[in-house]
Amino acid sequence: MIDALHPVSAASFSVEAFSCQKAGNARAEYEDAWAIRGSDSPTRCRVAVADGATESSFSALWAALLVESFVRGRSHGPDFFNRLDAVRRLWRRKVRGRPLPWYAAEKARRGAYAAFVGVSLNAVNQGWRAVAIGDCCLMHVTGNGTGRELAKAFPLSHSGEFGSSPFLVGSVKKVDDNPFPYVRVSEGVLAPNDALLFASDALAAWLLRRAERAEPAWEAVEAIRTQEEFESLVAQAREDGTRNDDMTLVRLTRRDREKGAS
Amino acid sequence: MYSAEISRKNPGCFIFLLDQSASMEDPFGGSSDRRKADELATIINKLLHNLSIRCAKGDSIYDYFHVGVVGYGQDTVVKSAFNGPLSGKDLIPISELANNPLRIEDRTKKSDDGTGGLVEQTVKFPLWFEATHAGGTPMSSAFKMAAEMVQRWVAEHPKGFPPIVINITDGESTDGDPVPEAKALCSLGTDDGATLVFNIHLSSASGNPVELPATDEGLPDKFAKQLFEMSSGLTPFMIGRAKELGMPAGEGARGFVFNAQPVQVIQFLDIGTRPANLR
Repeated sequence: MIDALHPVSAASFSVEAFSCQKAGNARAEYEDAWAIRGSDSPTRCRVAVADGATESSFSALWAALLVESFVRGRSHGPDFFNRLDAVRRLWRRKVRGRPLPWYAAEKARRGAYAAFVGVSLNAVNQGWRAVAIGDCCLMHVTGNGTGRELAKAFPLSHSGEFGSSPFLVGSVKKVDDNPFPYVRVSEGVLAPNDALLFASDALAAWLLRRAERAEPAWEAVEAIRTQEEFESLVAQAREDGTRNDDMTLVRLTRRDREKGAS
Repeated sequence: MYSAEISRKNPGCFIFLLDQSASMEDPFGGSSDRRKADELATIINKLLHNLSIRCAKGDSIYDYFHVGVVGYGQDTVVKSAFNGPLSGKDLIPISELANNPLRIEDRTKKSDDGTGGLVEQTVKFPLWFEATHAGGTPMSSAFKMAAEMVQRWVAEHPKGFPPIVINITDGESTDGDPVPEAKALCSLGTDDGATLVFNIHLSSASGNPVELPATDEGLPDKFAKQLFEMSSGLTPFMIGRAKELGMPAGEGARGFVFNAQPVQVIQFLDIGTRPANLR
């Protein structure tokens, strides 16, 4: 529920993003995407993260189009997935017309796929609403003083729920496609010291696993300031058995929290 | 075990053994107009087609797999079954295979128009193999040759995902019992596990197809039972993936099918996130 009794006027958010491609891949092969809009707005902010599926072609393009479409739009519920016609046409336009060998043409014909989580935040009352398909996650971290803890993880809340074949958002609308049974929605309110962490699947699964074994990494994640520090965290996750995948972290905190801390 | 990452740096390996003997000219599955050799050609072309598409990425193809195809039958010899530009080749990267089919046919196919409707489209369908049938069935020798190929491959990829050998046959070996040769092949492997042997049995007998059984009960003849015995158990990941794909794989399921087209077998290996709604 949104706490309308304690509005924080003109508060806005600080959002930072870090990303790292799969080990052994070139940076150009990174297939996650993220977008942020309105972090300095006194009224609203939108953040989205998508993870293009390895087993589809032109999925980085599809992931990028999805997140841009979300942050530039107004939908904050399942209807977002009902309004993808324009962005699908754009994907097709960019992919078609290329001279492709038979296997690439056939793969492109089947479409690109991506996991998606998008959040709209109300800067006045600090409420957030999220919508997701697949296994890109957001984690609401709360608490102060004695330690940080997970208030909510969405749409997956346990590391055991991550698999290698989730239902994803497709760039080609199929005759019998009905994404709605797979759409998840959630909402919450950010307290002054809270943070929202968005992560693509491999990183999210590792962060949840750490929390499950009572070795939470929230403070380590919140302390990251540079790309090098993020890469060091990724290396730690991979050493800890996390699957080799693109990794993306978007961290959103209330700006008034930063002011209070400084 | 069976958890090594498959990537361009750490490719997987598929070896297909094709029965091209004279008995493959016989009718398939009680059909009057379809021969076992036709069915075999359809299956291997579909398997290679699916494998190539699986590895396609953007406008290129990633070498996630090395592929070998061994034919046994013609002149009762065992040799690379590739023709045309790939003639005589042993194990090749999937990109080389995909870029060098014997020919590419245009086929029409109903597919999604991208906006929720269907449209008839012309798609390219490559063919690497034609139906072939002559000579005996030196299946044991084919497994020996596969073992030699596997031996070389695992020496070069000691930490890789173990090779998968898929034998497609009507089951009547003419050069001795193939079971020991299959077992010997399975004794080779990488740090990640033993080589896996799967069998696709194409029979003249009519009857219901059988996919990934856990026992040989209900299999129609001694050849089917022998091929079942030669087949490896599926890994837990493969059982899970088979279920997702609608195949009836239970605990103890083996990589054996009878009179079926198990083109989904190509999906049994994990090369990254695979959308559940990708068809």
